[in-house]
Amino acid sequence: MHLVHFAATRALASSAVFLFITVLLMATAKRISTCIVLFSAQCAIITAEILAMAYVHRSSEAYAVAALVLIVKVLAIPYALFRIVKDLQAPGDITASTTAAQSVFIAAGLILLSFFAVEPYSETLRVDTGMLAAAIALVLSGAFLMVSRKKALAQVIGLLVLENGIFLAALTTTFGMPLVVEIGIFFDLLMGVFLMGLFVFRIRDTFEHLDVSKLRRLRG
Amino acid sequence: MIWLSVGQVLLLVAIAPLVRGVIARLKARIQNRCGASVWRPYADLVKLFRKEDLVPPSASIVFRFAPMIVFAATVTAAAFVPALHGSALLGATGDFILFVYLLALSRFFLSLGAMDGGSSFGGMGASREALVSALAEVPLLLGLVAVAILARTATLAGIVQWTVRQDFTQISAVHALAFAALALVAIAETGRIPVDNPTTHLELTMIHEAMVLEYSGPSLALIEWASAVKLSLLLALLIGVFAPWGMAGGISVAALVLATLVFLLKVFVLALAIAVVESSIAKLRMYLVPDFLGVASALAILAVVFTALMR
Amino acid sequence: MTLLFPLLVPLLGAATVLVCRRPAVAVRVALAFGALEVLAIGNAVWRIRAAGVLPAGRYLRADGLTSFFLINTGLIFALVLAYSVGYLRHIPAGRFSSPRWFYGLMFLFLFTIMAVYLSSNLGLLWIFVEATTLASALLVGFYNTEGAVEAGWKYLIVCTVGIAFALFGTIVLYLAAVRGGVDPRSALDWAVLMSAAPNLRGAQDLLKLAFVFVAIGYGTKIGFVPMHSWLPDAHAEAPSPISAMLSAVLLNCALYALLRFDAITSRAIGSGFSHTLLLIFGALSVVVAGFLMIVQRDLKRLLAYSSIEHMGIAALGIGLGGAFGLYGALLHAFNHSIAKSLLFFTAGHVRENFGTLRMERIRGMGRALPWASAALVIGSLAIVGLPPFGLFVSEFLILTEAFSQARYAVAVLLLAALSVVFGALLYHFQRMLAGDPESAPASPRVPAADFAVMGVCAACLLVLGMRIPSAFSSVLRAAMAVLQ
Repeated sequence: MHLVHFAATRALASSAVFLFITVLLMATAKRISTCIVLFSAQCAIITAEILAMAYVHRSSEAYAVAALVLIVKVLAIPYALFRIVKDLQAPGDITASTTAAQSVFIAAGLILLSFFAVEPYSETLRVDTGMLAAAIALVLSGAFLMVSRKKALAQVIGLLVLENGIFLAALTTTFGMPLVVEIGIFFDLLMGVFLMGLFVFRIRDTFEHLDVSKLRRLRG
Repeated sequence: MIWLSVGQVLLLVAIAPLVRGVIARLKARIQNRCGASVWRPYADLVKLFRKEDLVPPSASIVFRFAPMIVFAATVTAAAFVPALHGSALLGATGDFILFVYLLALSRFFLSLGAMDGGSSFGGMGASREALVSALAEVPLLLGLVAVAILARTATLAGIVQWTVRQDFTQISAVHALAFAALALVAIAETGRIPVDNPTTHLELTMIHEAMVLEYSGPSLALIEWASAVKLSLLLALLIGVFAPWGMAGGISVAALVLATLVFLLKVFVLALAIAVVESSIAKLRMYLVPDFLGVASALAILAVVFTALMR
Repeated sequence: MTLLFPLLVPLLGAATVLVCRRPAVAVRVALAFGALEVLAIGNAVWRIRAAGVLPAGRYLRADGLTSFFLINTGLIFALVLAYSVGYLRHIPAGRFSSPRWFYGLMFLFLFTIMAVYLSSNLGLLWIFVEATTLASALLVGFYNTEGAVEAGWKYLIVCTVGIAFALFGTIVLYLAAVRGGVDPRSALDWAVLMSAAPNLRGAQDLLKLAFVFVAIGYGTKIGFVPMHSWLPDAHAEAPSPISAMLSAVLLNCALYALLRFDAITSRAIGSGFSHTLLLIFGALSVVVAGFLMIVQRDLKRLLAYSSIEHMGIAALGIGLGGAFGLYGALLHAFNHSIAKSLLFFTAGHVRENFGTLRMERIRGMGRALPWASAALVIGSLAIVGLPPFGLFVSEFLILTEAFSQARYAVAVLLLAALSVVFGALLYHFQRMLAGDPESAPASPRVPAADFAVMGVCAACLLVLGMRIPSAFSSVLRAAMAVLQ
């Protein structure tokens, strides 16, 4: 029990650091499979944090949410994405409009920006600024990934990171919403990934490539 | 205590070829080969010391003395790094800056000697090395500065002693980022994959090896030993700054033996990590190396900024 | 129970239609379920009118505002369903392009829209608004052309990102409510939030932050201007009946979500901040869409920009508030949906007969397709806001409110944008209607059902333009009462 409590408090304290590391690593990733693994790691860190919170606040709903996150985000969605990558049989590299070093600089800048964004709310909210800043950093870096990556699947992963950030922000500030809402959100996410996968295949079949920056036929 | 610190320096210098041999052996094992014995680099050094020192006719005095300066500078740098207990042979305020620039001095003279040798590969290697070292300087310094700011001290020994007092389960963002930056720099500085392949025989892909092409005999032995010492130094630096627990507190024999064993174990773990990384990823093309070091710089800068944020 | 029917009928309809193998059977099943749905909606509206507020369990609730939008959805859905029967004969056959997929997806889409209107809980509202995006994405990309796939992808990505921001806004509102003392288990319930709103006065910063994110998020789905990039593509590349559903029903659905949030925010901290934000979005949308309409070359894209513009007008109406602002905005949403459906049906006709939607290639429509041209003329007169059609009344109300509040800038802006739109549409349509019909078919197809549908649209617009029936007016007033 002592060890579990110790692990829980340590997990809560250091998960922000790990999330920042995943954000930076994702900025430098050159292959889609690396990104998917990093996304899965991010969700695993969030699961650990939910479990720690559930233990500290003794809330059974939080255990259910942790199980949901584990099953849907750590296992199901990355598995689906890996299947899509395998079935697409396309070259698995991510073409980006920024080099690795520039991406890391921008990601680092976004992390700093998120700290500054969280500053004015830290007294009113009385939450751990590290975690909230990590959540905002996830949102911003997810948006950055979506904008700077040219492959369709990379955009999907950026979207998933963005939703991760919003979910984490909800977690840090409110300790979770009613369970029904959480389940609905997860279901939406799953369906969304399924549909996006479907569309990626359609893009590949119609356009013969997966570079969404070349999808500029409709303009004006 | 002086003999303890001298012993530390001797240990770092003596095990350097062994570290190289262990990495080569681990790589061979990972690649399903038998690999040479871990003591092979020692045999190589002995062989080289017994051979004749050939000097190109166009070389000047720089070419002859460069290897000695390189070796001397590297060994002097070894005197600043605590390995077994919390202090080193030499230490003063800001000694980590001196450490960085001693390594830079050795690199500088190596490049000079290479250019002085007169071969075109020497010049090519020197120019590439200059690029890599110029870009690696920022993350190396900033990473150490970030940790120094947290420790509120300016000596390497002070940093090590501060870290020993910290709780090792509390992972600080500054340390994580600084470790990442310094690890990338260590790879670049010691010429390992993905920046440079130490076992390559293709001259156009060489950085460090190209600079030593003209050397032979004892000069080459000194240079090879110096580069091995640099590797073990940087490993000792990483261990000392980020994971120094297990260092000897007092002068008792038991504590020292334990500290030595723990140190060797940590070096082995890092060597294993290097071997795994070297076997899994490919060498970067030369124009991507600045990008690699740019990533290290970004991490180091972020580490410094974080010292103000995560108080 | 009454509220469950409008939800279950589309689900059952989707399941049944997807099972049918033969297209003819699928169409008939779809029509049957469509009729059932209209009956269910009518029943629900009747019950709501009798009861005032109709809660059903913990997650369903209907009040005056719900019934207003239910009437809107029911009407448009019936029209779209009737029109689509004729339209589907021209969809190229493909693996997923058969009528059963079309109707199956459409019924799923309808289910999600009904769920948005009937949910009592802001969290469920968000879930189902996101679900509408997912349900309609495949409908947007129904034709497997390059344009359709690109439009569908853009729609999916941009709307999902936007809705994620709305989720953040919802969470911040939940946070403000919980800190204001509301029980966490019901702090997302709209009715509970409305009654607890005065207690939230202290959390000004949080409420403003929440509203900004919600406005950006749901505003993406409504098509407000900085976030509108998906709208012209999606509405242009989708099949015409789906374009009508998107423009007429989905935009109103997102507007409904925004209205619910605005009600809470206005009751808690007053409407100054939220209404100013809506005025800004409305003004931007009206101006940008109006000017972009001039340079359009595709008919359905032109209509899509017109939708953006009209949603901007509705936003201006809500932002003005007052005696006529909100009334005008709601009426405008209703009128616009009918007029836009009429125009999209006409566009479908043009596409069928001319084979293209590029306006420069359509000439002499007046002579080749007389009935469709009449519909186009009526539709364009209506959409521009000329009497005797309904949009004139709603725009007049909004302008009156602007003048009575001495907000001359808004009024002048609106009038200027309306003139620009008038000019643009006149220019485009006049070129299409006049001239020699070279590329038109000799004997154009004139399905009776389609013209019945368009006739109904025109009739509704006329009725609403000349005199709003008192029953409808009372529904409108009940809707307004809910929000104030």
